[in-house]
Amino acid sequence: MNVTPVDMNKLRKIRWIALAIGAILLSGAVFAWFKFFREVPQPPFASAEERFKYGSLGGEQEAGIPYWVFVVLPRMFPEHLPGPGGYASLGIAWEQGHDLPIGFPKKTVGFERVGNNCAVCHTASYRASADENPTYVIAAPGHTTNVQAFFRFIVACAKDPRFTPDNVMREIALLYDLSLVDRLLYRFAIIPIVKQRLLERESQFAWMNRHGMPDWGRGRDDPMNLTKYFMLGRKEDGSYGPADMPSIWNLDKYRDGMTMNWDGASWDPRSVLVDSALGIVIKPQHDFEEQMQWLESFLRKRPPPTYPFAVDEKLAAGGSKVFDDQCASCHRSGRTGKPVPLAEIGTDRNRIESWNKQAAIDGNKVVASLGVTRRGLVEQDLVGYIAAHLDGIWLRGPYLHNGAVMNLRELLEPAASRTKLFFRGYDVYDQVNMGFVATGAEAERRGSRFDTAARGNGNAGHEYGTALSAEHKRALIEYLKTL
Amino acid sequence: MNEQEAIFWWQRWLGTWCRRIVAVLLLLVIAIGLYLLQRFGTDRPVVYESAADHFKYGSTGGERESGFPYLVWKVLPDLCAEQLPGKGYQSLGMLFEGDRDLPVGMSKRRVTGMDRVFLNCSVCHTSTVREKPGGEPVLMLGMPANRFNVMAFQKFIFSCVGSNHFTPEYVIAGIEGQGNKLDLLDRYLVYPLAVYLMQDRIRMLAERFRFADSQAPWGPGRVDTFNFAKAIFNFPADKLVPAELAGVSDFPSIWLQRPRKVADMQLHWDGNNHRVEERNLSAAFGTGATPPTVDHDALARVEDWLLDLSPPPYPYPVDAVRAKRGKVIYDKYCAGCHGRNGKDFSGEQVGKVTPIAQIGTDRGRLDSYTYELAVNQGQLYAGYEKYRFRNFRKTYGYANMPLDGLWLRAPYLHNGSVPTLRDQLEPVAQRPKVFHRGYDVYDPVRLGFVSGVAREGEQAFYRFDTTVRGNSNRGHEGSAYGTALPANDKDALVEYLKTF
Repeated sequence: MNVTPVDMNKLRKIRWIALAIGAILLSGAVFAWFKFFREVPQPPFASAEERFKYGSLGGEQEAGIPYWVFVVLPRMFPEHLPGPGGYASLGIAWEQGHDLPIGFPKKTVGFERVGNNCAVCHTASYRASADENPTYVIAAPGHTTNVQAFFRFIVACAKDPRFTPDNVMREIALLYDLSLVDRLLYRFAIIPIVKQRLLERESQFAWMNRHGMPDWGRGRDDPMNLTKYFMLGRKEDGSYGPADMPSIWNLDKYRDGMTMNWDGASWDPRSVLVDSALGIVIKPQHDFEEQMQWLESFLRKRPPPTYPFAVDEKLAAGGSKVFDDQCASCHRSGRTGKPVPLAEIGTDRNRIESWNKQAAIDGNKVVASLGVTRRGLVEQDLVGYIAAHLDGIWLRGPYLHNGAVMNLRELLEPAASRTKLFFRGYDVYDQVNMGFVATGAEAERRGSRFDTAARGNGNAGHEYGTALSAEHKRALIEYLKTL
Repeated sequence: MNEQEAIFWWQRWLGTWCRRIVAVLLLLVIAIGLYLLQRFGTDRPVVYESAADHFKYGSTGGERESGFPYLVWKVLPDLCAEQLPGKGYQSLGMLFEGDRDLPVGMSKRRVTGMDRVFLNCSVCHTSTVREKPGGEPVLMLGMPANRFNVMAFQKFIFSCVGSNHFTPEYVIAGIEGQGNKLDLLDRYLVYPLAVYLMQDRIRMLAERFRFADSQAPWGPGRVDTFNFAKAIFNFPADKLVPAELAGVSDFPSIWLQRPRKVADMQLHWDGNNHRVEERNLSAAFGTGATPPTVDHDALARVEDWLLDLSPPPYPYPVDAVRAKRGKVIYDKYCAGCHGRNGKDFSGEQVGKVTPIAQIGTDRGRLDSYTYELAVNQGQLYAGYEKYRFRNFRKTYGYANMPLDGLWLRAPYLHNGSVPTLRDQLEPVAQRPKVFHRGYDVYDPVRLGFVSGVAREGEQAFYRFDTTVRGNSNRGHEGSAYGTALPANDKDALVEYLKTF
């Protein structure tokens, strides 16, 4: 074909234009990648403990809240929080000198985002007295943390008519001088998208707010319903299975033949870690398996914390015999780590009834479809609650799976004489009764009201050792401090 | 001009009238743009040659975010005269030197097209002393601002800006009534807008500072520092418990920061921070400076100057013999916690926190600072890694202070509940239960300001009642604290402390 000089010129022109458009598109794409998706590894952690507290599991990508939005929300909408103190009012462990609480890792994915990790629910706080700063223990039950109030806070913020780019930007401007480009991105992209994403959570959490479902309160969630409704997308079935955040130290103790979770619904540590982490991460990222591997090896070897206060060794030695006599048959025997039939143990049944075999089968399918391998959920009908290992039991109050008994001393009383109304989530330790102070003005102010008559909160069952003499009970408690 | 004659491209381009008009308009727009940029983009504080003047009148950057338009500031006392306790800002305890039109502690900066003014460090850390009622007040930089009434100041601003009289009509008429000429832009745009923005801002601040509504009047020389700090985070005031709300305490003196810094002392009454720089940035919030707007260089200049600024020496006679006897007592009883003398702060317990059960003074200030606040403060200056707050810690007692310039630091204890040093050495039961504060006439016998006088001329002094919550004068008592010494030993001790 002949090409005339005019065509040549045209062609050249077109080529240049195409090149220019290409260059613009390319730089646009690079810009968008840089500002929205560029993943910057977190700075290295000084210790494994620090990594557990502040390390990302990769959840920032899918579920992270932009750092500056996260910081200003409590300042803009304090009335949606349970009290003064910003996020601290949720009972979240927060070390002094840090800009974010424990369990809230910060990671840059395009822009700085705040996610969550295991530590948010698995860090305990205790104090010897009110005139002392809290000591935080990782891998412990987060008995002060009000997860439900956090979920509700986020949704309430997003729904608040004042959650507009203008207002959020104005609050941010009081704290930080964002660059012009970042200001535009925040105003026109990030804030509107965040609002949208947070609003979506409202319908996702609707089941939690149904009539007749008591609040979880501090230190608890509704774990199997979270799994059913979030991961499996099931329809509400009316069940309600509130349970305490468990300790997750010393996972090496779970050996073959034992199952995990309060009801024995999961086969092994890896399965529990994966399923719990998926609740935070939503979509497993490229490093998910590596993260799970690290967590598992860390938590398998993580020792339970030793009792930090004085122990009467002589008394404890006597208690040891009481323990062998009264408790060891379940808590230090072949039965340990295995389910005790509900009819035998007699504790509140709601938690068991919030899960079933079919849910386990479906759950295993979903996780497999995400490309994650683990032994998984137990595809059997569940019969009762696990006879627990008692390592670090001093820091695991309140007691029973639903935290319905405020301290160990009361667990040794017949159900009828256990306290029916107390407050959980206050962190001053009760060295006499072994547990946290759960009555009195401060416990009332800080804690969540716990009524054993409310659904899921029954304090019946586990009536063992209740007939022991006061002296034997005292000795037994002293011994339990040493576990 | 045809195409052949044109030499440059723009000469060709300007070939038609239409294009020429466009070009003229374009130039005009650029010129106007440059003018506006210059007019509204200028950001320039009034600067001072001497460090002392910089301390008194220099900017911390607070005007950028919080500054009142200078002309509006000048009008407020006329506009709301009936809301002031007396005449002008003087009646709130602000100090005016000579014929200066801004008080000590107020700085000025040209920003956003206006001269704007706001408070600086010295408003709370400067006061005056007089030898006798008719005498000339002498300005003492770095001492507690015993006369300045922050709460009354705040109330005046809130109520005036919130009043019906605070409208562009009144304000602009007031400005012109004081002989100022506003140009068109200022009259019809800048100042009306400024009035509305002030109303908006004051509404927000009034909301955040609601905690003070439930409190008894603070009186001069006092502030509820950390309930203010909670306002930064917008902690809801109605959910603060009463125990948190009795945090009113005295302004401290701010001399000789270097030895405090070098010894890594715990600063603030409860010792909640040991970093001088962080403490200063925290205090700078009180001067209206937010992390994006603070003027770090200007603040550093104050900071450097305060490192070695010494308190003014005691100006009245000291009985050297008696003071020498007092030194023996001081060394025995006081030095371990308060330092060897007014310059040498060495001592086992100096700058450390004594538990509340041991010191026994009023808990109000201690309890006003909560763990929840401490952790939130970790977010201050977030994004500015060099400055981010890392050192605030909840404590459970009060810090042992060095006693430099002690004579000017009356009334005593953190809440200023004991009028004189001599009273401080008495058992609690014998300390005055009610006295007056805010007077600047000095009492060289008991060491403190005259506290038995209710008013001088037009000015009424603040009646301090030790039974009000947070005002207790208890604690720092017992034989270890010198309250069981014989009277002449106490007198000797007081004599010696004059030399600090």
